[in-house]
Amino acid sequence: MTVGTQGCWHCGEPLPPANAPQAVVGGVAHDVCCMGCRAAAEWIDTLGLADYYRLRTAPARRPPATAGGDGAILARPEVARQAVRDLGGERREAVVLVEGIRCSACVWLIERGVGSLEGVASVEVNALSQRARFVFEGTRCSLAQIVDALARMGYRAEPLTATALTDARRRENRAALKRLAVAGIGAMQAMTFASALYFGAIDMQDIATRDLFRWLAFLTATPVVLYSASSFFAGAVRTLVARRLSVDVPVALAIALIYAASLVMALRGGAEVYFDSVSMFVFFLLVGRYAEMRARHRAGDLTDALARSTPAFADRVRADGTLERIAALELVVGDRVHVAAGARIPADGVLETARCRVDESALTGESAPLVKIRGGALVAGSVVVEGPLALRVERVGPDTVVAGIVALATRAQAARPRLARAGERAAALFVGRVLALAAITAAGWSFVDPLRAFEATLAVLVVSCPCAFALAVPAALTRALGVLAQQGVLVVRPDAIENLAAATHVIFDKTGTLTDIALHGVEPLRDVDRDDALALAASLARGSRHPAAQAIEAAASNEALRPVAAWQSHSGGGVEGEIEGRKLRLGSPSFALTRDPGSTSLALANGPGSPSLDGAVVLADDTGAIAAFHFAERVRFDAQAAVAALAAEGVAIEIASGDVRAKVAAIAARLSVPHFIAGARPADKLARLAALRAEGARVIAVGDGINDAPVLAGADVAIALASGTEIAQASSDIVLANGRLAAIPEARDLARHTLAVLRQNQRWAMAYNLAVVPLGALGFVPPWLAAIGMSVSSLVVVLNALRIGRRKRRGGTPAPKLVPAAA
Amino acid sequence: MSALVFLIPLSILLAIGALVAFFWAVDHGQFDDLETPALMPLADAPDEPPQEPPQ
Repeated sequence: MTVGTQGCWHCGEPLPPANAPQAVVGGVAHDVCCMGCRAAAEWIDTLGLADYYRLRTAPARRPPATAGGDGAILARPEVARQAVRDLGGERREAVVLVEGIRCSACVWLIERGVGSLEGVASVEVNALSQRARFVFEGTRCSLAQIVDALARMGYRAEPLTATALTDARRRENRAALKRLAVAGIGAMQAMTFASALYFGAIDMQDIATRDLFRWLAFLTATPVVLYSASSFFAGAVRTLVARRLSVDVPVALAIALIYAASLVMALRGGAEVYFDSVSMFVFFLLVGRYAEMRARHRAGDLTDALARSTPAFADRVRADGTLERIAALELVVGDRVHVAAGARIPADGVLETARCRVDESALTGESAPLVKIRGGALVAGSVVVEGPLALRVERVGPDTVVAGIVALATRAQAARPRLARAGERAAALFVGRVLALAAITAAGWSFVDPLRAFEATLAVLVVSCPCAFALAVPAALTRALGVLAQQGVLVVRPDAIENLAAATHVIFDKTGTLTDIALHGVEPLRDVDRDDALALAASLARGSRHPAAQAIEAAASNEALRPVAAWQSHSGGGVEGEIEGRKLRLGSPSFALTRDPGSTSLALANGPGSPSLDGAVVLADDTGAIAAFHFAERVRFDAQAAVAALAAEGVAIEIASGDVRAKVAAIAARLSVPHFIAGARPADKLARLAALRAEGARVIAVGDGINDAPVLAGADVAIALASGTEIAQASSDIVLANGRLAAIPEARDLARHTLAVLRQNQRWAMAYNLAVVPLGALGFVPPWLAAIGMSVSSLVVVLNALRIGRRKRRGGTPAPKLVPAAA
Repeated sequence: MSALVFLIPLSILLAIGALVAFFWAVDHGQFDDLETPALMPLADAPDEPPQEPPQ
C-alpha cells in the first residue's frame, strides 16, 4: 500500500503550493510539507531504514516543530532517577509512551532506529498501548539519547514512572502462561496413561502394569496440582484468612480431595484413581482464568490515556524570578511554577497570581472554565484558559488528584463485574452442596457396602463439575468484551453488559452526539475571495480537534492548504499561526478580534451590515476581521439508523438538550423521536433521569462525555463518544471508539445474546450435574465416563460462549476492526 | 509391551522438553505482546531473507 503520493512524502499532509522542501531518500528527491518532515525523512534514510516508507500502511505523524529540544532535560540525574530503573550492573530500563505510532511500520522503524544506537540492548514496542520499553547500558547510552532519537524520527516520547504496573502485569501474565502450559501438558500425559487403563489396553489382571500406569499418571498430575493449581490454594488460604468464602475455597478443596484420595487408592491398590480428571479440572479452570486476566490487562491500557493528561515538563521559577525548564517529575512540594495560557498544569497547587481561568473538564466534566483567585486550588492536568499564572506546588506525582483518579480507574477495572461475582457465588454454593452430597454418599455407602464407599464418594467429586459453573459466566463475558472491542465499543465496566441488555430507555444528548456541525456559509468581512479565506482558515484549523475546526477543514477538502508557522492553540479561544509571514487568528470573535485593543470596532465596522457574529468563527489578522464562518447543525450520518434500530427493539428514546426548543424540536422531528426536553440544564436532565428510574426504567445515557457528565454518572449505562476527554471516557461505562452511534443497538443486541448464552451455560451446568451426580453417588458412573463427562461439560460451556458475536457477523454489515494505530 | 519401556520415558522426556522450551520462550518475552507481531509485515530489511512463515 503506498501512502502519500499526492501529499508530503513523510506525513501525507498537503504540500505547500510552491517551493516545497525536498527530502532525499534512497537517492530520490521527494516533496515534503515542512522542514520537520524533511529532517525526519532524511534522518530515517541516514539510518538505512528507508524501507519504512515501503512497509508502512499509514502516513507518519508530522514531527513537532520543536523536535528534540526537551531531551536534554531528561539527561539530568534527578529525572533519570525517577524515569530510569536500574536492572543491575550497567543495565538500565525505561518505559516510554510514544505518541504517533500509526502502523506496524512505526514499530519496525522504532525498533531499528533506536536499536541501532550504541549501548541499546533491547527495544520492545507495543503498538496497541503505544508504549516502548528500552533496556540500555548506562555507560554508553542514556534516556535522553533515546528520546532524542525518537524525536528525530518524528515521534514524541514521554517517559513513564509507572513501570511497576507494567511489571506486575507482565509477571502475572508470564506466571499464568507457565501454569497453563504445565497443566495442559500434564493433563494430556495423565489422560494418555489413564486411557490405557480405561479402554483395556492394559490387562487389568496384570496388577504390576496397572500400578505402573497409575504411578505414571501420579507423576504427571503432581506438578499440575502442586504447581499449576497453587494459585487456587493460595487464593483459598487468602480468603479463609480474611474470613470470607470465594470460589477458590471449594475448588481448592475439591482438587486436594480428589488428588489425595487418588493417591490413597494408588497406595492401597484400590479400584480407581482420578489423576487424569484432576489435571483436566485444573487445566480448564486455568484457561478461564487466563482469558479473564487478558481482558483485565487490555482494559488497563485505557488508563495509560489518563496518565498522559499531565505534562512531562514544567517551568520552575528560580529565586531570582527567571524560569528554568525541568521535567515535571523533578518538581517537589514548595516549588513555584509558571504555566502559560493554553498549557496544562503540571502538579496540584495553590494559585499565587491574582486571577486566572482554568478548564478542569478533563477531571470534573465541568465544561465551563472556572475562575480562580489567589489562593485557589489548582489541579494537575487542567488547562489554563486565561493566564499565565504562577502556582506553588502542594502535591506531586502519585499524590495528585489526577493520579488518584487513575488509581481509582485501575481499581475499578480490576474489580470483578457483578455478574461474575454472582456466578462465583452460585459456583461456591454448588460446590458446597456437592461436598455435602459427597459426605452423605460416603456415610450411606459405609452402611451398605463399606468397601465401595470411598470409590463412590470420589466418583461424586469428579463427575460433578464445579468448573462448568465457575467458567459459565467469565467465558461468556470475556467473549462479549472481545467482540465488542473489535466493533469499536470499549466496555470500561463489565457490569454495563447486564444493564445494556435490560435497558428500556435511551436519553441522547443532542449537540455533539446526535448532531455535529457543518460549515454553512463563509461571509467575507472585507474584500477577500471566499475560497481564499476558507483555505487560510482550514490551514490554521488543521490540527485542532475542536468540532468547528474540523468542520472548516472538512469543507475545505478541495482547497490547497498552506504551511503554517508558529502554530498555537488557545484552549477556549481558537488557534493562531503565521501563513506566508502574516499573523492570523481563527476562533471565537472575542479571541480573534480583541488581541489588539481597539481593532474590534474597526473590524466590525468593516463588515458589511455589521452581521451578528454570535456562534460564528472569525478569521482575523492584525488589521481586523477577514471573514466569518457560520455553522449549521447536521444530523450525524448514522443517528437516524441508530435511533430507528433502538425504537424497533422497543426502547423508548428521548432527547435531552440544553439547546433552544425550536432547534431540539426540529432534530426530534427529523429522527421521529416523540419525547424531548429542551433548554435543559444538567440538573434538569438529571431530574428527568431520576423520574424515569423512579418508574422502574433502566436508562442508557449517551453523551460526548464532557458537559453530560452528571447525566452520564446517574444513568444505568453511560455511553460516551470517543471525542470526549480521556478521563470522562474512562469514568463512563462504555466508550464508542469510532463514534458510530449505530454501534449502540448492535452492542445492546450482543449484550442480550451474551446474557442468553450465560443463562444457557448456567442451566447446562446445573442440568448436567443434576443428571450425573445422583448416578455417581449410586456408584453407576465408571471413572472414564466421569472424566469425559467433566471435560465435555466444561468444553460445552466454553464453546457455547464462542457463539456470542457470530450471529451478528453473518447478518450485519462487517464491523470496522478497531486498529488504534491507524488514525 | 517391551516397546512401552522405551516409549513411556520418551513421552515424558518430550513433555519435559516442550515445557522447558515454553518456559524459556515465556521468560524471554515471546508471549508478552501478542498483538504487535501480528501487525508487523512479513517483509523485513531488504538485505535479509524473508522470514519463515510461522509453523
